[in-house]
Amino acid sequence: MRSGGGDSSQGQIQIEPRSSKQMAATQDVKGKGEGGDQNFDYMFKLLIIGNSSVGKTSFLFRYADDAFTSAFVSTVGIDFKVKTVYKNDKRIKLQIWDTAGQERYRTITTAYYRGAMGFILMYDITNEESFGAVQDWSTQIKTYSWDNAQVVLAGNKCDMEEERVVSVDNGRLLAEQLGFEFFETSAKDNINVKQTFERLVDLICDKMSESLDSDPAVPTGAPTAKLTDSAPPLQQSGCNC
Amino acid sequence: MGQTTSKPNSNLFQNSNFFSSYKRGFASSPSDDQNMSLRPSIFSTLRKPPVSKPNDFIPLFNDCISAASSRTQEYLLFKDPEDKFYPSPEVLTQVFLMTYISQSVSLNMTDAFNCTAMTPGQRILLGADWVWAVLEKPTKNPRIQIAVQVLHLPDREDAEENSIPPEAFSESVQIAQKESSNKTMYERMVDFCTSIGKDCYALFLFLGRKSDKENIYGVLSNNFEAAIGKCDKIDRAFIENFFKGSRYLHTPQGMMQAIVTKKEGDPLTLMIKFS
Ligand SMILES: Nc1nc2c(ncn2[C@@H]2O[C@H](COP(=O)(O)OP(=O)(O)O)[C@@H](O)[C@H]2O)c(=O)[nH]1
Ligand SMILES: [Mg+2]
Repeated sequence: MRSGGGDSSQGQIQIEPRSSKQMAATQDVKGKGEGGDQNFDYMFKLLIIGNSSVGKTSFLFRYADDAFTSAFVSTVGIDFKVKTVYKNDKRIKLQIWDTAGQERYRTITTAYYRGAMGFILMYDITNEESFGAVQDWSTQIKTYSWDNAQVVLAGNKCDMEEERVVSVDNGRLLAEQLGFEFFETSAKDNINVKQTFERLVDLICDKMSESLDSDPAVPTGAPTAKLTDSAPPLQQSGCNC
Repeated sequence: MGQTTSKPNSNLFQNSNFFSSYKRGFASSPSDDQNMSLRPSIFSTLRKPPVSKPNDFIPLFNDCISAASSRTQEYLLFKDPEDKFYPSPEVLTQVFLMTYISQSVSLNMTDAFNCTAMTPGQRILLGADWVWAVLEKPTKNPRIQIAVQVLHLPDREDAEENSIPPEAFSESVQIAQKESSNKTMYERMVDFCTSIGKDCYALFLFLGRKSDKENIYGVLSNNFEAAIGKCDKIDRAFIENFFKGSRYLHTPQGMMQAIVTKKEGDPLTLMIKFS
């Protein structure tokens, strides 16, 4: 039940995002506006993952609400926030999902990997164990997410230089090995928070236009590329951002 | 972080019989509580074994529940004689939760057993209004969880549905609904608990039942999913059905005792009277 890996546990969970086709439907919806702000050009779904207490929730709070609290309130299961960013005159709505790091939530959190276009994989530079777990988290991404999902590795709590146990170089090296971008960040002192999200959005945009260039068949759903399998279908207009 | 230093002695008092007979006094004057906890050595020598037992929060939990239940009961039967003012049933949930949380904070029990209110998005995604958790000592990670969903009297629920204008649904609520497929709130909470395992319980908390509108009841189980196979769906009627027949009603304390003494992996289903 706690395996978090096998198909059986995956099959149990019913609280799943809709199929990734749903995402296409959420794109380019303009002016429907009943309550929520539906006025956007693109919708990107992002996930923040990593061990418990590395600072995922704080990081998202800093980015979405520009706030920080030192009290630790362990996240139950999964939660999300929405933030709209602008890029080359396009409105990009970010749906940012904050996950709980504990093993007991693995089934529910991995159910949300599927539709995600980008991940922030976070460790705590003052916590060796959280750094050691990065490899495992990366495997989780490979197992449960879309192949083209983009990942940024974030070494958080870089304001705590005195308690540092993971060097910047080791962080950067691991990111290189895994093929991820890398930032050291601080939710507390607001260091590289915005930059991390912006980089991730850039990477997703690059990937979108790249995929469209190399694979014109995508919009029709022809099974010529990996994209067509579980990827969020990319809109015909492409990403000019 | 930064909060742990002031609390090393709190368990001592939660442990002792001494404390449990005087805890109401402590609760109403937090400064006394603090003064007492500055002098742990006297009491620690009186007690053996000196290690705090993990289940000492149970009588405190009981206290919090009685406070929350009686406060909620004060408003449970409210009716405007002029029939113009209809407070949202949501208010009852909030009164219960506020009273519970204030009480648990003043009893200083949240290091052992905490209560996390869900965000509006989580309430829809996970189907729970709040989640109680027995915490593992050093890590504070949840060891046992109880996800709670409040059910109101059907006429109140109807009033609520009719009174919410569409624009009240915030964007996050809309997104959460989109994500949560077409399952009922009952099913979402059961799914959530099932995804965690047998140490996560679903508790449906009835603020009044048709047959007894002024009391608070609950159905708790870590095994609702077994019923999904048998029935088409989990709905209110299905949950209320558990009360039919002359089943034994647990006290809140009895419920918690049953939960912490249960063998790992075993199913457990109980009915509780909270007021
Ligand atoms: N010094 C410092 N503390 C942080 C930072 N980010 C988070 N924290 C603290 O680390 C603890 C865990 O943070 P939280 O965001 O809940 O972690 P999560 O479990 O990954 O969501 C909290 O006490 C935060 O206040 C940071 O950048 N610097
Ligand atoms: Mg968190």
